Amino acid sequence: MATPQQLQLLAPLSGVLMALDQVPDPVFAGRIIGDGLCIDPTSSTLCAPLAGVVSDVQASGHALTITSDAGVQVLMHIGLDTVNLAGEGFTRRVETGQRVEAGQALIDFDADYIALHARSLLTLMLVVSGEPFDSLVGSTGLVEVGQPVLDVVVGAAVGEHPAPLPGDAVFSQPINLPNPNGLHARPAAVFAQAAKAFSATIHLHKLQAQANGKSLVAIMALQTAHGDSVQVSAEGEDAVAAVDALTRLLSEGCGEAVTAPAPVEADAAEMPNILRGVCASPGSALGQVMQIVEASLLVNEFGEALSQALIEADMALQHLRDTASGQAQAEIFKAHQELLADPSLLDQARALIDAGKSAAFAWKTSTDATAAMFRSLGNALLAERAADLDDVGQRVLKLILGVHEQTLELPDDTILIADQLTPSQTAGLDTRKVLGFATVGGGATSHVAILARACGLPAICGMPLQMLGLGNGTRVLLDADKGELQLHPDAESIDQLRTRHERQRQRHQQELAQASEAACTRDGQHIEVTANVASQEETAQAMELGANGVGLLRSEFLYLGRQQAPSHDEQLATYSAIARTIGPAHNLVVRTLDVGGDKPLAYVPMDSETNPFLGLRGIRLCLERPQLLREQFRAILACCELTRLHIMLPMVTNLAELRLARQILEQEARVLGLAHMPKLGIMIEVPAAALMADVLAPHVDFFSIGTNDLTQYTLAMDRDHPRLASQADSFHPSVLRLIAMTVKAAQAHGKWVGVCGAMASERLAVPLLLGLGVDELSVSVPLIPAIKSAVRELNLADCRIIAEQVSNLESATDVREALQRFHEAKVDASPVMEN
Amino acid sequence: MFDKLQQAFWKALTPDMVPDEANITADAVAGLNAEIVAALGGVDNLKSQQPLALTRVRVTLHDEARVDRQALSMAGVAGVMCLEGGVLHLITGLRAEG
Repeated sequence: MATPQQLQLLAPLSGVLMALDQVPDPVFAGRIIGDGLCIDPTSSTLCAPLAGVVSDVQASGHALTITSDAGVQVLMHIGLDTVNLAGEGFTRRVETGQRVEAGQALIDFDADYIALHARSLLTLMLVVSGEPFDSLVGSTGLVEVGQPVLDVVVGAAVGEHPAPLPGDAVFSQPINLPNPNGLHARPAAVFAQAAKAFSATIHLHKLQAQANGKSLVAIMALQTAHGDSVQVSAEGEDAVAAVDALTRLLSEGCGEAVTAPAPVEADAAEMPNILRGVCASPGSALGQVMQIVEASLLVNEFGEALSQALIEADMALQHLRDTASGQAQAEIFKAHQELLADPSLLDQARALIDAGKSAAFAWKTSTDATAAMFRSLGNALLAERAADLDDVGQRVLKLILGVHEQTLELPDDTILIADQLTPSQTAGLDTRKVLGFATVGGGATSHVAILARACGLPAICGMPLQMLGLGNGTRVLLDADKGELQLHPDAESIDQLRTRHERQRQRHQQELAQASEAACTRDGQHIEVTANVASQEETAQAMELGANGVGLLRSEFLYLGRQQAPSHDEQLATYSAIARTIGPAHNLVVRTLDVGGDKPLAYVPMDSETNPFLGLRGIRLCLERPQLLREQFRAILACCELTRLHIMLPMVTNLAELRLARQILEQEARVLGLAHMPKLGIMIEVPAAALMADVLAPHVDFFSIGTNDLTQYTLAMDRDHPRLASQADSFHPSVLRLIAMTVKAAQAHGKWVGVCGAMASERLAVPLLLGLGVDELSVSVPLIPAIKSAVRELNLADCRIIAEQVSNLESATDVREALQRFHEAKVDASPVMEN
Repeated sequence: MFDKLQQAFWKALTPDMVPDEANITADAVAGLNAEIVAALGGVDNLKSQQPLALTRVRVTLHDEARVDRQALSMAGVAGVMCLEGGVLHLITGLRAEG
């Protein structure tokens, strides 16, 4: 190897430096492609940092590699996720193979366009050939284009390829690339990194072209696109393992969120008898297959106006919202209406129209590009939303093109199967004829899942592509609880299913028939089953379903979505109506205003917070704005005589907060001349409050445990996090111990404890919560009869034993399993269940 | 927009977990503190402002000549990119993504 020499790299742009570790992109921050620096540009022409040959310019013009004569390879990548712009905003000034001088202009870009349409302008300059370097500028501050920034030690490159062992190359099957933009920088880097783990020589083949599989630049230079057929070959000792691993990596998208590749031709002969997926909505059904396929629309040069189609689409969505069978469906169409009005979509489309394109073309291009961007952000939830955008896109496109929706004629007992079902497709369905859904795409957050749950129909997602090869009319048994679709079910399976359904139906009827009866355990312990409500209508519904009052009235509904605070009269009228619905025999627990920085009120200006869930929320906000709290107390107190009134403070952490609030409450009560005070309690949702329950208990009349927040704060897991949400489980033993601690403290002072989080509405949790000593379960309205019935099946003594046992287990999963076994042993086996 | 959508869907998905209505977006100052606004020539000089691209605030001004570059830098703006039509990108640092 030659004596190491120094090579200075010049700043390719002027701008602000950012430490590579801080770049919000795991591939770049992890230096998977290579080490270097990141500039947030203030100039808009990318210049060569060194002299050499342009070894690769991406067709989309957002990335470029230069190789110096000494073999130093430098990759420049303008912006994050800019590959999705498909070249828009970039003007290449050099071609592959061209020799450039240091400082020469390479790519002009429209910084404003990119800022408006891509995730970021952060630009990377990375030494991909791996030579070590010294930074001449640190990692923060300003740089000027052309200024020397890195000192690279030439000739010290690592990663020389050992001579390949002689032998025959192993080839993979052809793989269709699922990546929406082919193997661009990020997936290519992931592939190269994985390939480097093998000693074998690895090549990636596309038609006649081949690239060194360990070289990022070589892979990018193949210029692959979505759906391209590629092959991996390997030669050397671990060739077979390498081909296996890399084939899998390629078909999984090399770390990119990918949509299912185009359906392969399904081979009916090889179709297994049971297809497996993931449960998206529980239940089971027997029926016949009906497949939904969305026809692709031909876009012509019609000159129809976009705005007219947008107005019509908005009206159609409004109609769907108004006639939606449930709240969940209405919410989806509301979100679609918001998409229609999205400024960035409209800007893109209008720009294309101004450039002389037809409205249909412009609209399709802009929705397709944005959907691709949603899919590429690496966020499962947003990837799901790409389906919404496609759906809205199709709706408007059909209106522009004058294509009429066809209503689908469904036979009875249909099990709908599809690659992916859009909300528009499901909205027009006759749900009386549909018994369930099975889809290839989607997950627990997809529409099918949401809608199926709203309609109470079983659904499975993530099915194998083979499923789409099933002919219409095939008899299938959909068991979503097990995540299975059984083809041509035998008589025995059908019988079992029918028996199960019949039991469930009877059970449900029995629950409803007994809804008004008290919820007492078999050994005589009475449990209050109350309702979580947010309106007078819900309260009325709850009382009809046998609720023993309201355990949580979310007063936020009075405050949100308006420009000024509700007036005293309005508040008074609402609380009074709810109090009258409940009557003097039951409790009404009103939770005072519980908002924070994540859902600020227009008339309560707040500074934006980095982490609103740890910020000024609940009682903290109310004590900052005591007038708001004072007015709310005054309105609540006015219905003191109508019901057994309880007031509950959210997010209490310190005793001082409770004392201050009580002071305000007592002042207001005096002003009104009330004979007796309402009960005052607090939510236990901050771990500190649970840990300090013995200190708080003497000062309250009751505790109510908000298990959703208590869980997210105890486990430090965001309950909306796409990947953590499933682990943020209230059954975690740590949460159970906090509940036990709270109950113990309350009982020592003769106070009662309720649970008003989602946990109380879970049948499986009932024996656990009873066993822990909880006195009241406040549940979502439709589940009142089921939870009351669950209480009646239990012995409190058994509950205490199981609660004690599971609190010592190590995970939420273990707790759930133990409770399931308890349920099977104590409840299913009991004579109460026999009809 | 992502926030709004995400909120709407979580609401639909887990009505019990996300109990409360609508997300009123109110990033009141949209990433601009009082010093920055003053350095841009005051509120009157601001036609529009929009935080975007993770690190930037895009502002449109009536009169670019009223911008005080030094005061901007004192107010914590790391870099300024002047574009056509009175548009300025202020580089204010990485924000969390929605």
